[in-house]
Amino acid sequence: MVKSRQIFSPLSSVTFLFLIISDITYGTDTDIFCLKSIKDSLKDPQNYLQSWNFNHKTEGFICSFIGVECWHPDENRVLNLKLSQMTLTGLFPRAIGNCTSLTGLDLSANNLSGIIPENIATLLPFLTSLDLSSNDFSGVIPLSLANCTYINTIKLDQNQLSGQIPQQLSLLQRLKTFTVSNNSLVGPVPNFTNAHVLVNYSNNKGLCGPSLKHCPNN
Amino acid sequence: MERLTSSFMSSFFVWAILVLDLVLKASGNQEGDALNALKSNLLDPNNVLQSWDATLVNPCTWLHVTCNSDNSVTRVDLGNADLCGQLVSQLGQLTNLQYLELYSNNLSGKIPEELGNLTNLVSLDLYLNNLTGPIPTTLGNLAKLRFLRLNNNTLTGGIPMSLTNVFSLEVLDLSNNYLEGEIPVNGSFSLFTPISYQNNPGLIPPKNAPSPVSPTPPPASSGLLMPVLPLLLLYADSNFSLSY
Repeated sequence: MVKSRQIFSPLSSVTFLFLIISDITYGTDTDIFCLKSIKDSLKDPQNYLQSWNFNHKTEGFICSFIGVECWHPDENRVLNLKLSQMTLTGLFPRAIGNCTSLTGLDLSANNLSGIIPENIATLLPFLTSLDLSSNDFSGVIPLSLANCTYINTIKLDQNQLSGQIPQQLSLLQRLKTFTVSNNSLVGPVPNFTNAHVLVNYSNNKGLCGPSLKHCPNN
Repeated sequence: MERLTSSFMSSFFVWAILVLDLVLKASGNQEGDALNALKSNLLDPNNVLQSWDATLVNPCTWLHVTCNSDNSVTRVDLGNADLCGQLVSQLGQLTNLQYLELYSNNLSGKIPEELGNLTNLVSLDLYLNNLTGPIPTTLGNLAKLRFLRLNNNTLTGGIPMSLTNVFSLEVLDLSNNYLEGEIPVNGSFSLFTPISYQNNPGLIPPKNAPSPVSPTPPPASSGLLMPVLPLLLLYADSNFSLSY
Protein backbone atom coordinates (compact mmCIF):
# COMPACT_ATOMS: atom_id res chain seq x y z
CA MET A 1 0.00 0.00 0.00
CA VAL A 2 2.99 2.27 0.46
CA LYS A 3 3.71 1.87 -3.29
CA SER A 4 0.19 2.97 -4.29
CA ARG A 5 0.44 5.95 -2.00
CA GLN A 6 3.65 6.98 -3.69
CA ILE A 7 1.96 6.71 -7.10
CA PHE A 8 -1.07 8.69 -6.08
CA SER A 9 0.64 11.65 -4.43
CA PRO A 10 2.58 12.90 -7.45
CA LEU A 11 -0.42 12.10 -9.66
CA SER A 12 -2.65 14.22 -7.48
CA SER A 13 -0.15 17.06 -7.51
CA VAL A 14 0.23 16.97 -11.29
CA THR A 15 -3.53 16.81 -11.78
CA PHE A 16 -3.99 19.63 -9.29
CA LEU A 17 -1.48 21.78 -11.18
CA PHE A 18 -2.98 20.89 -14.55
CA LEU A 19 -6.49 21.78 -13.42
CA ILE A 20 -5.32 25.05 -11.87
CA ILE A 21 -3.55 26.02 -15.09
CA SER A 22 -6.52 25.11 -17.28
CA ASP A 23 -8.74 27.08 -14.91
CA ILE A 24 -6.65 30.19 -15.45
CA THR A 25 -6.72 29.92 -19.23
CA TYR A 26 -10.41 28.93 -19.55
CA GLY A 27 -12.49 31.61 -21.22
CA THR A 28 -9.72 33.34 -23.13
CA ASP A 29 -8.50 30.25 -25.04
CA THR A 30 -11.93 30.04 -26.67
CA ASP A 31 -11.56 33.55 -28.08
CA ILE A 32 -8.19 32.68 -29.59
CA PHE A 33 -9.75 29.52 -31.07
CA CYS A 34 -12.66 31.65 -32.31
CA LEU A 35 -10.48 34.04 -34.28
CA LYS A 36 -8.16 31.33 -35.59
CA SER A 37 -11.16 29.36 -36.85
CA ILE A 38 -12.68 32.43 -38.48
CA LYS A 39 -9.44 33.17 -40.28
CA ASP A 40 -9.15 29.55 -41.44
CA SER A 41 -12.74 29.47 -42.69
CA LEU A 42 -12.60 32.62 -44.81
CA LYS A 43 -10.76 33.40 -48.03
CA ASP A 44 -8.81 36.64 -47.61
CA PRO A 45 -7.38 37.36 -51.06
CA GLN A 46 -5.88 40.71 -50.16
CA ASN A 47 -4.44 39.55 -46.86
CA TYR A 48 -6.33 42.07 -44.75
CA LEU A 49 -5.99 39.65 -41.84
CA GLN A 50 -2.21 39.69 -42.00
CA SER A 51 -1.99 41.03 -38.45
CA TRP A 52 -3.87 37.95 -37.20
CA ASN A 53 -0.71 36.15 -36.12
CA PHE A 54 -1.17 33.30 -33.66
CA ASN A 55 2.48 32.38 -33.17
CA HIS A 56 3.36 34.48 -30.13
CA LYS A 57 0.56 34.20 -27.62
CA THR A 58 0.88 36.90 -24.99
CA GLU A 59 -1.79 38.46 -22.78
CA GLY A 60 -4.17 40.45 -24.92
CA PHE A 61 -2.30 39.70 -28.17
CA ILE A 62 -5.51 39.34 -30.16
CA CYS A 63 -6.54 42.84 -29.06
CA SER A 64 -4.15 44.40 -31.55
CA PHE A 65 -5.55 42.36 -34.49
CA ILE A 66 -7.19 44.45 -37.17
CA GLY A 67 -10.95 44.52 -36.71
CA VAL A 68 -10.83 43.17 -33.14
CA GLU A 69 -11.98 45.25 -30.18
CA CYS A 70 -11.46 43.69 -26.75
CA TRP A 71 -13.25 44.19 -23.47
CA HIS A 72 -9.91 44.97 -21.81
CA PRO A 73 -6.62 45.72 -23.56
CA ASP A 74 -4.65 42.99 -21.81
CA GLU A 75 -7.24 40.21 -21.86
CA ASN A 76 -8.06 38.01 -24.86
CA ARG A 77 -11.81 38.57 -24.80
CA VAL A 78 -13.47 39.95 -27.92
CA LEU A 79 -16.10 42.66 -27.54
CA ASN A 80 -16.64 43.63 -31.19
CA LEU A 81 -15.51 42.20 -34.49
CA LYS A 82 -15.46 44.65 -37.41
CA LEU A 83 -14.28 43.15 -40.68
CA SER A 84 -15.94 45.51 -43.14
CA GLN A 85 -14.70 46.07 -46.72
CA MET A 86 -12.05 43.36 -46.73
CA THR A 87 -13.03 41.43 -49.89
CA LEU A 88 -13.58 38.37 -47.68
CA THR A 89 -15.18 35.33 -49.30
CA GLY A 90 -16.85 32.30 -47.79
CA LEU A 91 -19.79 31.41 -45.58
CA PHE A 92 -20.91 33.06 -42.37
CA PRO A 93 -18.15 31.98 -39.93
CA ARG A 94 -20.06 29.88 -37.40
CA ALA A 95 -16.91 29.51 -35.30
CA ILE A 96 -17.73 33.00 -34.09
CA GLY A 97 -19.90 31.27 -31.50
CA ASN A 98 -16.67 30.63 -29.60
CA CYS A 99 -16.24 34.35 -28.99
CA THR A 100 -18.57 34.06 -26.03
CA SER A 101 -18.37 37.73 -25.00
CA LEU A 102 -19.07 39.17 -28.45
CA THR A 103 -21.60 41.99 -28.66
CA GLY A 104 -20.91 43.61 -32.04
CA LEU A 105 -20.45 41.95 -35.44
CA ASP A 106 -19.83 43.88 -38.64
CA LEU A 107 -19.09 41.81 -41.74
CA SER A 108 -20.51 44.38 -44.15
CA ALA A 109 -19.20 45.01 -47.67
CA ASN A 110 -17.54 41.67 -48.36
CA ASN A 111 -18.28 38.73 -50.68
CA LEU A 112 -19.78 36.39 -48.07
CA SER A 113 -22.47 33.98 -49.23
CA GLY A 114 -24.70 31.18 -48.07
CA ILE A 115 -27.30 31.48 -45.34
CA ILE A 116 -27.42 33.45 -42.14
CA PRO A 117 -27.19 30.71 -39.48
CA GLU A 118 -30.59 29.40 -38.42
CA ASN A 119 -29.33 29.30 -34.81
CA ILE A 120 -27.73 32.72 -34.73
CA ALA A 121 -29.08 33.50 -31.24
CA THR A 122 -27.43 30.36 -29.89
CA LEU A 123 -24.14 31.31 -31.50
CA LEU A 124 -24.29 34.94 -30.42
CA PRO A 125 -26.74 35.38 -27.52
CA PHE A 126 -25.36 38.77 -26.48
CA LEU A 127 -25.35 40.42 -29.88
CA THR A 128 -26.25 44.13 -29.72
CA SER A 129 -25.32 45.09 -33.28
CA LEU A 130 -25.36 42.96 -36.44
CA ASP A 131 -24.31 44.36 -39.81
CA LEU A 132 -24.21 41.86 -42.69
CA SER A 133 -25.09 44.38 -45.37
CA SER A 134 -23.57 44.41 -48.86
CA ASN A 135 -22.72 40.72 -49.19
CA ASP A 136 -24.25 37.80 -51.11
CA PHE A 137 -26.17 36.17 -48.28
CA SER A 138 -29.19 34.20 -49.45
CA GLY A 139 -31.99 32.25 -47.87
CA VAL A 140 -34.27 33.63 -45.17
CA ILE A 141 -33.86 35.97 -42.24
CA PRO A 142 -33.74 33.36 -39.46
CA LEU A 143 -36.46 33.28 -36.83
CA SER A 144 -33.66 32.81 -34.31
CA LEU A 145 -32.82 36.51 -34.69
CA ALA A 146 -35.93 37.21 -32.60
CA ASN A 147 -34.13 35.53 -29.67
CA CYS A 148 -31.27 38.02 -29.81
CA THR A 149 -32.85 39.85 -26.90
CA TYR A 150 -30.24 42.58 -26.60
CA ILE A 151 -29.96 43.51 -30.24
CA ASN A 152 -30.19 47.25 -30.98
CA THR A 153 -29.19 47.31 -34.65
CA ILE A 154 -29.88 44.89 -37.52
CA LYS A 155 -28.56 45.78 -40.96
CA LEU A 156 -29.09 43.22 -43.71
CA ASP A 157 -29.32 45.54 -46.72
CA GLN A 158 -27.95 44.67 -50.14
CA ASN A 159 -27.99 40.87 -50.06
CA GLN A 160 -30.11 38.19 -51.76
CA LEU A 161 -32.35 37.38 -48.83
CA SER A 162 -35.74 35.92 -49.67
CA GLY A 163 -38.88 34.75 -47.94
CA GLN A 164 -40.77 36.65 -45.27
CA ILE A 165 -39.42 38.76 -42.43
CA PRO A 166 -40.19 36.89 -39.19
CA GLN A 167 -43.02 38.77 -37.47
CA GLN A 168 -41.49 37.86 -34.11
CA LEU A 169 -38.78 40.46 -34.72
CA SER A 170 -41.37 42.98 -33.54
CA LEU A 171 -40.91 41.55 -30.04
CA LEU A 172 -37.30 42.72 -29.81
CA GLN A 173 -37.48 45.34 -27.07
CA ARG A 174 -34.17 47.05 -27.67
CA LEU A 175 -34.28 47.24 -31.46
CA LYS A 176 -33.60 50.77 -32.73
CA THR A 177 -32.56 50.17 -36.36
CA PHE A 178 -33.83 47.52 -38.79
CA THR A 179 -32.79 47.91 -42.42
CA VAL A 180 -33.26 45.24 -45.09
CA SER A 181 -33.34 47.28 -48.30
CA ASN A 182 -32.23 45.79 -51.60
CA ASN A 183 -33.14 42.15 -51.06
CA SER A 184 -35.87 39.85 -52.41
CA LEU A 185 -38.05 39.79 -49.31
CA VAL A 186 -41.82 39.32 -49.54
CA GLY A 187 -44.83 39.54 -47.29
CA PRO A 188 -45.88 41.88 -44.50
CA VAL A 189 -43.31 43.91 -42.61
CA PRO A 190 -43.16 43.44 -38.82
CA ASN A 191 -45.46 45.53 -36.66
CA PHE A 192 -42.92 47.05 -34.29
CA THR A 193 -44.42 48.06 -30.93
CA ASN A 194 -41.70 50.67 -30.54
CA ALA A 195 -42.68 53.32 -33.09
CA HIS A 196 -39.19 54.79 -33.05
CA VAL A 197 -37.48 51.90 -34.84
CA LEU A 198 -35.63 53.25 -37.86
CA VAL A 199 -36.59 51.01 -40.78
CA ASN A 200 -35.68 50.73 -44.43
CA TYR A 201 -37.57 48.27 -46.61
CA SER A 202 -36.91 49.82 -50.00
CA ASN A 203 -36.19 47.75 -53.11
CA ASN A 204 -37.87 44.57 -51.94
CA LYS A 205 -40.56 44.02 -54.57
CA GLY A 206 -42.67 41.67 -52.49
CA LEU A 207 -42.82 43.51 -49.15
CA CYS A 208 -46.11 45.02 -48.11
CA GLY A 209 -47.48 47.08 -45.23
CA PRO A 210 -47.63 50.67 -43.94
CA SER A 211 -46.02 53.13 -46.43
CA LEU A 212 -45.54 50.20 -48.83
CA LYS A 213 -48.03 48.50 -51.13
CA HIS A 214 -51.11 47.05 -49.39
CA CYS A 215 -50.89 43.50 -48.11
CA PRO A 216 -53.29 41.10 -49.87
CA ASN A 217 -56.12 39.84 -47.61
CA ASN A 218 -55.38 36.11 -47.37
CA MET B 1 -0.81 116.47 -6.40
CA GLU B 2 -1.78 114.98 -9.74
CA ARG B 3 1.75 113.68 -10.24
CA LEU B 4 1.66 111.92 -6.89
CA THR B 5 -1.66 110.29 -7.75
CA SER B 6 -0.51 109.12 -11.18
CA SER B 7 2.78 107.69 -9.83
CA PHE B 8 0.83 105.97 -7.08
CA MET B 9 -1.55 104.55 -9.67
CA SER B 10 1.26 103.23 -11.87
CA SER B 11 3.00 101.64 -8.87
CA PHE B 12 -0.23 99.99 -7.87
CA PHE B 13 -0.70 98.82 -11.45
CA VAL B 14 2.78 97.22 -11.55
CA TRP B 15 2.22 95.65 -8.14
CA ALA B 16 -1.10 94.22 -9.30
CA ILE B 17 0.53 92.65 -12.36
CA LEU B 18 3.24 91.09 -10.20
CA VAL B 19 0.68 89.62 -7.82
CA LEU B 20 -1.42 88.31 -10.70
CA ASP B 21 1.68 86.79 -12.27
CA LEU B 22 2.52 85.04 -8.98
CA VAL B 23 -1.03 83.76 -8.60
CA LEU B 24 -1.07 82.46 -12.17
CA LYS B 25 2.28 80.74 -11.71
CA ALA B 26 1.10 79.12 -8.49
CA SER B 27 -2.23 77.94 -9.93
CA GLY B 28 -0.42 76.59 -13.00
CA ASN B 29 1.00 73.98 -10.64
CA GLN B 30 -2.41 73.06 -9.25
CA GLU B 31 -2.49 69.91 -11.37
CA GLY B 32 0.93 68.94 -10.07
CA ASP B 33 -0.34 69.47 -6.54
CA ALA B 34 -3.34 67.26 -7.25
CA LEU B 35 -1.15 64.45 -8.54
CA ASN B 36 1.23 64.92 -5.65
CA ALA B 37 -1.69 64.52 -3.27
CA LEU B 38 -2.37 61.18 -4.99
CA LYS B 39 1.26 60.16 -4.67
CA SER B 40 1.23 61.01 -0.95
CA ASN B 41 -1.73 58.70 -0.51
CA LEU B 42 -0.14 55.73 -2.22
CA LEU B 43 2.39 53.05 -1.33
CA ASP B 44 4.63 52.59 -4.35
CA PRO B 45 6.85 49.51 -3.88
CA ASN B 46 8.16 49.59 -7.45
CA ASN B 47 8.98 53.32 -7.37
CA VAL B 48 6.92 54.02 -10.47
CA LEU B 49 6.25 57.51 -9.07
CA GLN B 50 9.89 58.31 -8.54
CA SER B 51 9.87 60.99 -11.24
CA TRP B 52 6.89 62.78 -9.63
CA ASP B 53 8.74 65.86 -8.40
CA ALA B 54 6.42 68.46 -6.89
CA THR B 55 9.01 71.22 -7.17
CA LEU B 56 8.79 71.27 -10.97
CA VAL B 57 6.68 73.98 -12.59
CA ASN B 58 4.20 71.44 -13.97
CA PRO B 59 3.82 67.66 -13.93
CA CYS B 60 4.22 67.30 -17.70
CA THR B 61 7.69 65.78 -17.51
CA TRP B 62 6.62 63.19 -14.93
CA LEU B 63 6.56 59.59 -16.12
CA HIS B 64 3.09 58.08 -16.62
CA VAL B 65 1.66 61.60 -17.01
CA THR B 66 0.73 63.04 -20.41
CA CYS B 67 -0.09 66.71 -21.08
CA ASN B 68 -1.57 68.65 -23.97
CA SER B 69 0.05 71.63 -25.68
CA ASP B 70 -1.17 73.88 -22.86
CA ASN B 71 0.73 71.81 -20.29
CA SER B 72 -2.49 70.48 -18.83
CA VAL B 73 -2.74 66.83 -17.84
CA THR B 74 -4.68 64.65 -20.30
CA ARG B 75 -3.60 61.13 -19.27
CA VAL B 76 -2.52 59.31 -16.13
CA ASP B 77 -1.28 55.80 -17.01
CA LEU B 78 -0.60 53.76 -13.87
CA GLY B 79 -2.09 50.38 -14.75
CA ASN B 80 -0.35 47.23 -13.42
CA ALA B 81 1.92 49.20 -11.09
CA ASP B 82 1.52 47.35 -7.77
CA LEU B 83 0.23 50.53 -6.14
CA CYS B 84 -1.54 50.38 -2.78
CA GLY B 85 -3.50 53.07 -1.02
CA GLN B 86 -6.46 55.24 -1.85
CA LEU B 87 -7.61 57.68 -4.49
CA VAL B 88 -7.90 61.38 -3.56
CA SER B 89 -10.60 63.96 -4.24
CA GLN B 90 -7.99 66.25 -5.80
CA LEU B 91 -8.09 64.07 -8.93
CA GLY B 92 -11.25 66.01 -9.74
CA GLN B 93 -9.12 69.09 -10.37
CA LEU B 94 -7.53 67.64 -13.51
CA THR B 95 -10.18 69.22 -15.69
CA ASN B 96 -8.59 68.27 -19.02
CA LEU B 97 -8.06 64.65 -18.03
CA GLN B 98 -9.20 62.23 -20.75
CA TYR B 99 -7.73 58.89 -19.62
CA LEU B 100 -7.52 57.77 -15.99
CA GLU B 101 -5.85 54.36 -16.07
CA LEU B 102 -5.40 52.93 -12.59
CA TYR B 103 -6.39 49.33 -13.29
CA SER B 104 -4.76 46.23 -11.86
CA ASN B 105 -3.33 47.63 -8.63
CA ASN B 106 -4.16 47.16 -4.94
CA LEU B 107 -6.11 50.38 -4.54
CA SER B 108 -8.62 50.48 -1.70
CA GLY B 109 -11.13 52.96 -0.35
CA LYS B 110 -13.84 54.67 -2.32
CA ILE B 111 -14.17 56.16 -5.79
CA PRO B 112 -14.11 59.94 -5.13
CA GLU B 113 -17.32 61.76 -6.08
CA GLU B 114 -15.11 64.54 -7.45
CA LEU B 115 -14.27 62.37 -10.46
CA GLY B 116 -17.64 63.62 -11.69
CA ASN B 117 -15.93 66.96 -12.36
CA LEU B 118 -13.73 65.46 -15.06
CA THR B 119 -16.02 66.46 -17.90
CA ASN B 120 -13.42 65.65 -20.56
CA LEU B 121 -12.94 62.09 -19.36
CA VAL B 122 -13.11 59.47 -22.11
CA SER B 123 -11.85 56.43 -20.17
CA LEU B 124 -12.18 55.55 -16.50
CA ASP B 125 -10.40 52.27 -15.79
CA LEU B 126 -10.33 51.33 -12.13
CA TYR B 127 -10.83 47.60 -12.67
CA LEU B 128 -8.98 44.87 -10.77
CA ASN B 129 -8.46 46.70 -7.47
CA ASN B 130 -10.01 46.50 -3.98
CA LEU B 131 -12.22 49.56 -4.20
CA THR B 132 -15.24 49.72 -1.89
CA GLY B 133 -18.33 51.85 -1.52
CA PRO B 134 -20.74 52.96 -4.21
CA ILE B 135 -20.37 54.03 -7.82
CA PRO B 136 -20.76 57.83 -7.44
CA THR B 137 -23.88 59.26 -9.05
CA THR B 138 -21.71 62.15 -10.20
CA LEU B 139 -20.18 59.91 -12.88
CA GLY B 140 -23.38 60.66 -14.78
CA ASN B 141 -21.87 64.09 -15.51
CA LEU B 142 -19.12 62.60 -17.64
CA ALA B 143 -20.74 63.41 -20.96
CA LYS B 144 -17.79 62.23 -23.05
CA LEU B 145 -17.16 58.95 -21.25
CA ARG B 146 -16.72 56.00 -23.61
CA PHE B 147 -15.09 53.38 -21.40
CA LEU B 148 -16.27 52.71 -17.84
CA ARG B 149 -14.56 49.62 -16.44
CA LEU B 150 -14.95 49.15 -12.70
CA ASN B 151 -15.04 45.35 -12.74
CA ASN B 152 -13.32 43.14 -10.17
CA ASN B 153 -13.54 45.35 -7.10
CA THR B 154 -15.77 45.15 -4.01
CA LEU B 155 -18.13 47.97 -4.95
CA THR B 156 -21.56 48.02 -3.30
CA GLY B 157 -24.84 49.83 -3.76
CA GLY B 158 -26.81 50.35 -6.93
CA ILE B 159 -25.99 51.30 -10.50
CA PRO B 160 -26.67 55.07 -10.71
CA MET B 161 -29.49 55.87 -13.13
CA SER B 162 -27.57 59.02 -14.05
CA LEU B 163 -25.25 56.84 -16.14
CA THR B 164 -28.08 56.08 -18.58
CA ASN B 165 -27.73 59.69 -19.75
CA VAL B 166 -24.11 59.21 -20.76
CA PHE B 167 -24.80 58.52 -24.42
CA SER B 168 -21.13 58.29 -25.36
CA LEU B 169 -20.72 55.07 -23.33
CA GLU B 170 -19.47 52.21 -25.48
CA VAL B 171 -17.90 49.73 -23.06
CA LEU B 172 -19.32 49.09 -19.58
CA ASP B 173 -17.86 46.47 -17.28
CA LEU B 174 -19.21 46.32 -13.73
CA SER B 175 -18.76 42.57 -13.34
CA ASN B 176 -17.37 40.91 -10.22
CA ASN B 177 -18.51 43.35 -7.55
CA TYR B 178 -21.22 43.39 -4.88
CA LEU B 179 -23.60 45.72 -6.65
CA GLU B 180 -27.31 45.34 -6.02
CA GLY B 181 -30.65 46.61 -7.18
CA GLU B 182 -32.13 46.86 -10.66
CA ILE B 183 -30.15 46.88 -13.86
CA PRO B 184 -31.11 49.90 -16.00
CA VAL B 185 -32.04 49.16 -19.62
CA ASN B 186 -33.00 52.65 -20.83
CA GLY B 187 -30.93 55.33 -22.50
CA SER B 188 -27.36 54.30 -23.17
CA PHE B 189 -27.86 51.10 -21.15
CA SER B 190 -29.87 49.60 -23.99
CA LEU B 191 -26.48 48.56 -25.36
CA PHE B 192 -25.37 46.53 -22.37
CA THR B 193 -25.85 42.82 -21.87
CA PRO B 194 -25.50 40.47 -18.88
CA ILE B 195 -21.78 40.29 -19.65
CA SER B 196 -21.40 43.80 -18.20
CA TYR B 197 -22.96 42.77 -14.90
CA GLN B 198 -21.74 39.19 -14.29
CA ASN B 199 -21.06 38.04 -10.74
CA ASN B 200 -22.96 40.68 -8.81
CA PRO B 201 -25.28 38.39 -6.87
CA GLY B 202 -27.51 41.25 -5.71
CA LEU B 203 -28.22 42.72 -9.16
CA ILE B 204 -31.75 42.11 -10.43
CA PRO B 205 -31.96 41.34 -14.17
CA PRO B 206 -34.48 43.43 -16.13
CA LYS B 207 -38.04 42.11 -16.57
CA ASN B 208 -38.67 39.97 -19.63
CA ALA B 209 -35.05 38.92 -19.62
CA PRO B 210 -34.66 35.40 -20.95
CA SER B 211 -33.27 32.72 -18.64
CA PRO B 212 -29.68 33.57 -19.32
CA VAL B 213 -27.74 31.40 -21.74
CA SER B 214 -24.72 30.93 -19.51
CA PRO B 215 -22.50 33.96 -20.04
CA THR B 216 -18.69 33.85 -20.14
CA PRO B 217 -17.55 31.72 -17.24
CA PRO B 218 -16.26 33.61 -14.22
CA PRO B 219 -12.56 34.51 -14.12
CA ALA B 220 -10.07 32.00 -12.76
CA SER B 221 -9.98 33.50 -9.27
CA SER B 222 -13.59 32.63 -8.62
CA GLY B 223 -13.71 29.24 -10.36
CA LEU B 224 -15.13 26.60 -8.07
CA LEU B 225 -15.18 23.31 -9.92
CA MET B 226 -11.50 23.16 -10.79
CA PRO B 227 -10.07 23.37 -7.26
CA VAL B 228 -12.72 20.91 -5.99
CA LEU B 229 -11.65 18.08 -8.28
CA PRO B 230 -8.05 17.90 -7.11
CA LEU B 231 -9.21 18.23 -3.51
CA LEU B 232 -11.35 15.15 -4.08
CA LEU B 233 -8.27 13.39 -5.42
CA LEU B 234 -6.27 14.36 -2.36
CA TYR B 235 -9.13 13.17 -0.16
CA ALA B 236 -9.20 9.84 -2.00
CA ASP B 237 -5.44 9.68 -1.61
CA SER B 238 -5.61 10.12 2.16
CA ASN B 239 -8.48 7.65 2.39
CA PHE B 240 -6.52 5.10 0.45
CA SER B 241 -3.53 5.48 2.72
CA LEU B 242 -5.75 4.99 5.77
CA SER B 243 -7.27 1.80 4.46
CA TYR B 244 -4.01 -0.12 4.51
